[in-house]
Parts: sequence; C-alpha cells; structure tokens
Amino acid sequence: MAKEIAIHLEPTVLTHLFGLPITNTLLSTIVVSALLIVSAYFLGRNLKLVPGKLQAAVEGIIEFPYSFVRETLEYDKKLVAWVFPLVMTIFIFVLTANWFGLLPFIGAIGIEDHGHFLPFFYPINTDLNVTLALSIIALLAIETAGIITLGALRYGGKFVTFKSPLAFAVGIIELFSELARLISFSFRLFGNIFAGKVLILVVFSFVPLLVPVPLLAFELFVGFIQAAIFALLTLFFIKIAVAEPH
Amino acid sequence: MSELFHAFGIDWRLLILQVINFGILVGALWFFLYKPVLSMLRGREEMIAKGVKDAQAAEEIRKDVEEKKGEILKSAETEAHDVVTAAKQQGSDERGKILKDAEERAAKVAKDAELRAKETEKKARKDAEKEIAKLSILAAEKVLEKK
Repeated sequence: MAKEIAIHLEPTVLTHLFGLPITNTLLSTIVVSALLIVSAYFLGRNLKLVPGKLQAAVEGIIEFPYSFVRETLEYDKKLVAWVFPLVMTIFIFVLTANWFGLLPFIGAIGIEDHGHFLPFFYPINTDLNVTLALSIIALLAIETAGIITLGALRYGGKFVTFKSPLAFAVGIIELFSELARLISFSFRLFGNIFAGKVLILVVFSFVPLLVPVPLLAFELFVGFIQAAIFALLTLFFIKIAVAEPH
Repeated sequence: MSELFHAFGIDWRLLILQVINFGILVGALWFFLYKPVLSMLRGREEMIAKGVKDAQAAEEIRKDVEEKKGEILKSAETEAHDVVTAAKQQGSDERGKILKDAEERAAKVAKDAELRAKETEKKARKDAEKEIAKLSILAAEKVLEKK
C-alpha cells in the first residue's frame, strides 16, 4: 500500500481564522454555495418567453418540484411561498454538495502537512456540522409551519393533551419522536455520504483502476437519493405538522 | 454527550456558519432563480390562456361572419331574382302597351286617311258638278246667240 488511509469522523481543520476553525468541508460549502449562486444569477438573468434548451431544462427542474410542493400542501399559498424555496434549496444544495465531493480532481487539491495530505475540498456531508445544521433548519421549518398554520396552542395540543392518560402518553411520545428527527435527519445523510467516501477511499487504495467506477456511479445515485430524501421528508413532515389535530 | 460532540467534531460556531450559509443560499436562489422562473412560467401560462381564449373568440367571430355571409348571399339572390322578374314583367307590360298604342295609332291614321279621301272625293264631285253646270250654261248661251 502506498499510503495509509486517513479516516476521521470529524472534519479536517485547515487553518484558524480569528480563532475560528476553517475546515475543508466549510471551504467546500462556501465554494459550492458560491457556484450555485453564480449559476442561479446567470440562469435567471435573461429568461425568455420562448425557452431555449437550457432554460427549458431549468424550468423543468423548478416547475416539477413546485407543482409537487403545491399539491402536497393542498395549494396553501402562504405556506408554499416559503416552504418551496426552502425544500428546493435543501435538495439543490445537498445534491450539489454530494456530487461536488465526487468530482475526480477536487480531492487532489491540497497541501502536504507533516507527512499527511490535507485536501482543501472534501465531501460536505461527511461533516456532521453541516447535516446537523440542515436538520435544525428543517426542524425549525416544520415546527414553524405547524405553529403558523394551526396556532401555537392548537399545535402544542398535539403533544401535550390532558384528554385522557393515553392521549397524554401518546403526545409525549410524539414530542420525543419530533426531536428524534433531528438525529435521524442528520445521521442518515451523514452516514450515507461518510460511508460512501470511506468505501471509495478504501477501494481506491487497493484497486485504483476500473473497480471504483461502478462505485462512483453508485455514489452519484446515493447522492441524488439522499438529497431527495432530505427534501421530501422535510416537506412531508411539514404536511403532517399542518394537519388538523384529531 | 460532549465527548460525542467532540468525536464528530461538532462546533457550535461551525453550526451557526452553516445555518447562515444555508440562509443566504435560500435567499439568493429564491431571488435569482425561483422568483424569475416562476413568474416567467406564470406569465407564459397567462399568455397561453389568453391565446386560446382569443382563438376561440376569433373562431366564433368567423362562424358568425360565415353565417351572415350566407344570409347576405341568399337575400341578394332572392332580391336579384325579384328584380329580374319585375323587370321582365315590366318589359312585357310595356311591350304590350307600345304595341297597343301603335295599333291604335295605325288604326287612327288609317281612319283619318279614309275620311280625308272621302272628303276629297266629295269635294271633287261637287267641283265637277259646278263645272258641269257652268259649262252647260255656257253651251246654252252659245246656242241661244246663234239663233
């Protein structure tokens, strides 16, 4: 074996800026976000009534999820107005982050430090900070949707009721499962992408030719699926949150 | 718990940075991409709806015009027919009248001519009688003178 494989659960810190640890996943996050914003600017800048091929594709990527979100939320205009951008951005960001981490040349950029190779860019969702941050946002969105639509009292009544001892117990369990989403959301994405990255690292170090190709293809698929799952679950939990309590 | 956080490298500052980054991303994508694309799609939808409506209206107008055209053609045909019939009728009436007039006039002319001829004959006979009387008087005078 040429090099030992370095696998850490925590992200690699590149440097410190005003005492703030700059990790390679944070750097990747900023680069991916900048890429997304710049592409969004150029794609949205001159839209034509009669679309070209690129515009038609972009429209399809936005219109299909938009009508899906509208249908799921039963055409609640106020809710769709802020849920759609959130869910769509979760999908686009997670997808781009996952695929960005798979780009072949990206992993090669870095520096040698005390005999270890420090890559500047790393699959973003192998950092629990990122997936946890996204989960917190998703959870806040879910609870906010419930409170806005039903009112704080009626929404809280889903979790704390004194109608009967059984209903009380069920409400408490619901409350815990609500909070448990924070963990399931963040670890699902983290685990999938982290495992994929480790798998690829290991296979690359053993058989660097041909064998990683189907694995990379599979990771592309996993990256897409995980992005879709994160966005769809957020949407469905919002739908459950705004449902009338019974 | 803090050991677990440490093992995964959880740092609240990184968490906050990630939340802020995502917030900016949502805002930027909404402003640069979703908003213009969705309003564009809505605009196109409205335009298509309007186009379809306009086409329907135009079709209705076309049908209306076609109907009216048929009506006008029909009425024009009947009118033309009427005009022709009336003209024919009038023509034949006039012809009859003219013929009658002509006949009447011819008859009158013939009658006049006859009358005049008779008068002339009468006059001629009278003149002749006068002449004869004169001549006979003259002859009688001559006979008497010889005697």
